[in-house]
Amino acid sequence: MAREFQRGHKAKISDLTPGTDLYVGVQIAAPGLTFDISCFGLDADEKLSDDRYFIFFNQPKSPEESVQLLGAQSGDTESFRVTLDRIPAGIHKLSFTATLDGAGQMSQIGPGYIRIVAGGEEVVRYAFTGSEFTTERAVMLGDFYLKDVWRFAAVGQGFDGGLDALLKNFGGEVAEEEEAPAAPQAAPGFAPPAQATAPPAFAAPPAPQAPQPAPSFGAPPAPAPAPQPMHAAPTIAAPITPQAPPAPAPYGQPGHQPPQPQFGQVPGQGVPPTPPYGQPAPAPYGQPAPAPYGQPAPPAFGQQPAGVPQGVPAAGAGLQAALQLYKETATGQRWTPQNQQLMRVDLTMGGAGVLARQGSMVMYQGKVDFGYKSAGFVGRAVGNATGQEMQLMRCTGRGQVFLAEEGSHLHPIELQGDAICVSAESVLAFDESLQYEVRRVEGHGIPGGALFTMQFQGTGTVVIKTHGTPVVLPVTPTTFADCNAVVAWSAASQVIVSSQVRLRRNAYPGHSGETVNLQFRGAPGNFIVVQPYEV
Amino acid sequence: MNQQLAGFAPTPVTARMENHGKTMLKVAMASGQDLYARTGSMVAYEGFIQYEPNPPAVRQIASQWITGEGAPVMKCSGDGLLYLADYGADVVVINLNNDSLSVNGTNLLAFDAHLTWGVEKVKGLAKFAGQGLWNVVVQGTGWVAITSRGTPIVVDCGRGEDETYVDPDALVAWSPNLKVKGKRSFKAGALIGRGSGEAYQMAFSGQGIVVVQPSEDSTDRLRIRN
Repeated sequence: MAREFQRGHKAKISDLTPGTDLYVGVQIAAPGLTFDISCFGLDADEKLSDDRYFIFFNQPKSPEESVQLLGAQSGDTESFRVTLDRIPAGIHKLSFTATLDGAGQMSQIGPGYIRIVAGGEEVVRYAFTGSEFTTERAVMLGDFYLKDVWRFAAVGQGFDGGLDALLKNFGGEVAEEEEAPAAPQAAPGFAPPAQATAPPAFAAPPAPQAPQPAPSFGAPPAPAPAPQPMHAAPTIAAPITPQAPPAPAPYGQPGHQPPQPQFGQVPGQGVPPTPPYGQPAPAPYGQPAPAPYGQPAPPAFGQQPAGVPQGVPAAGAGLQAALQLYKETATGQRWTPQNQQLMRVDLTMGGAGVLARQGSMVMYQGKVDFGYKSAGFVGRAVGNATGQEMQLMRCTGRGQVFLAEEGSHLHPIELQGDAICVSAESVLAFDESLQYEVRRVEGHGIPGGALFTMQFQGTGTVVIKTHGTPVVLPVTPTTFADCNAVVAWSAASQVIVSSQVRLRRNAYPGHSGETVNLQFRGAPGNFIVVQPYEV
Repeated sequence: MNQQLAGFAPTPVTARMENHGKTMLKVAMASGQDLYARTGSMVAYEGFIQYEPNPPAVRQIASQWITGEGAPVMKCSGDGLLYLADYGADVVVINLNNDSLSVNGTNLLAFDAHLTWGVEKVKGLAKFAGQGLWNVVVQGTGWVAITSRGTPIVVDCGRGEDETYVDPDALVAWSPNLKVKGKRSFKAGALIGRGSGEAYQMAFSGQGIVVVQPSEDSTDRLRIRN
């Protein structure tokens, strides 16, 4: 579950996520304004001693690719990939900044955030709005810094000058810094670096510059096979630009027609003679040129012949790159959440078996045996009577088991001698070493006379599942929860049923429907978990 | 009024296929670059795009599809932006770089028409498991979008010395060079109602990847609607 940071919050990265290959996304936008989002790799004195670690649109990656600029994606105005364990020892801090390009001030920005995503799951988010700033022209959003281990800090500090002042603040190398601040103004001098691999997303149009091995979509150097008998439109695809060599017609109809730059001549289609795709059009579809939301609209984009449907995904081309975000993460622990919805149990750690809900296994590797877990006669009887019945299977052996159920969010709770009450239908799996029993919550007004839950006790892990993102509330003197939505509570808190006493409770239509609530009492430190779904 | 919704406007096009949010796919279409998409997956489009629900070329390749109904993919051609979605399933965009991928038919959302593709019957016991009966092997250089109910996970099959076993209902895609076989894991006890709930698995071995979704819901919602 993502943690929300406020300005000034700090945490170890290892506390947030076991992963070291992180995605950092920044969203910042204001109507009519564009932003340059960059990352400064600073040394121990907080200076930019090596300007190869100034990662911005003109230098999208550091030499060993530990920090890479990925471009806009997934709702983020700009995104980075940071591989912590590849960052060289000389770099002690990565500072993520956003600077205004052009006129304006930071108070104009709308809600934005900087977030870290690991293994497909957002682990931390620091949200900010324009009201936190005044006339600043730049803002330092967040830092990764090395203090024994890598940590993340939500900074949110405004800065009066623009990108060049920020550079001076960090740098000192004023002489070399010329190229950088010059870039936003001197548009013609700005060209995407001709990287052969993984060009950043918005620098995608380098197709006309060099035939590149990356599968730029529009003008592949190799004629694509796959003739298309059903292809009705004889026009050749857009991205073949006039100055590109007349490449072999990429899609179908070899030799049928020379590449013609005229467009919109599809017979039978009333295409208006707008300059559509592949022309040096200002911006392809529906994007107003000033790019109100996000995207520090790189000047080069409008100047190069921008074929629309090309480019490679931000993470690079190829199957492996596309799926990198979803890779299995192994941490050497027994229970490892792979993402919000999937749990990995390594049975080789810890020895004892795992009891899991029947049918919750989606995949396993190794030699794992799945057996029926009998509840026993008494267990069956109690389970039937209370509704707190669990259909379990026992997973034993050597290997890794992946558990999930219907895309529910999963949360491992590690018990160290303490106890937790969980509703039986919210249990996904638990260590066999835990003791569990059915507990009764008494009270009048509960449908069925009483409420039953499962209490787990001992040392081990319980995985509970919730529909949607749950809320964890500390138990205060006035903590109430709907008995249908509450998933779990720490067993040390005392539960009381509070029903709204009202005459003719159900006698009229339109009553609130919230008649039976549970009230929780307990010492500080107790908590309850509530899901946004009332079963 | 528009202010609050402003954040949901489409981002500028930077690639042929992109995610719009987690669950929507945005495809930049241009004439000559056709696309095959699941029938019924279109949620919006902008520009001039035409749909051919049952193209003869597909019918030929898909002769193995046990249909009688229309083929489950349609051909989209034209210029513009096309938005596809499958009932809120997560969309994963893959840029194949001379790779190949075998995708469970239910989980395939769209792919470039110039890719080489073919339909296979799912081998082994998986067909008993309430699974879609077909999977599509896509190969070449171009774009593919697959769906997954929940955030998927990718496992390197060649990493462990043992085989990887997958619940067929949760299987999304795999590398076609993997060896696949069905595995029954139920014992005699399962016959008297004491099964572990996991009766069939598909076993993968070899070098490659397997993509699995965190849900055992493999119903083909697009198909049901037809």
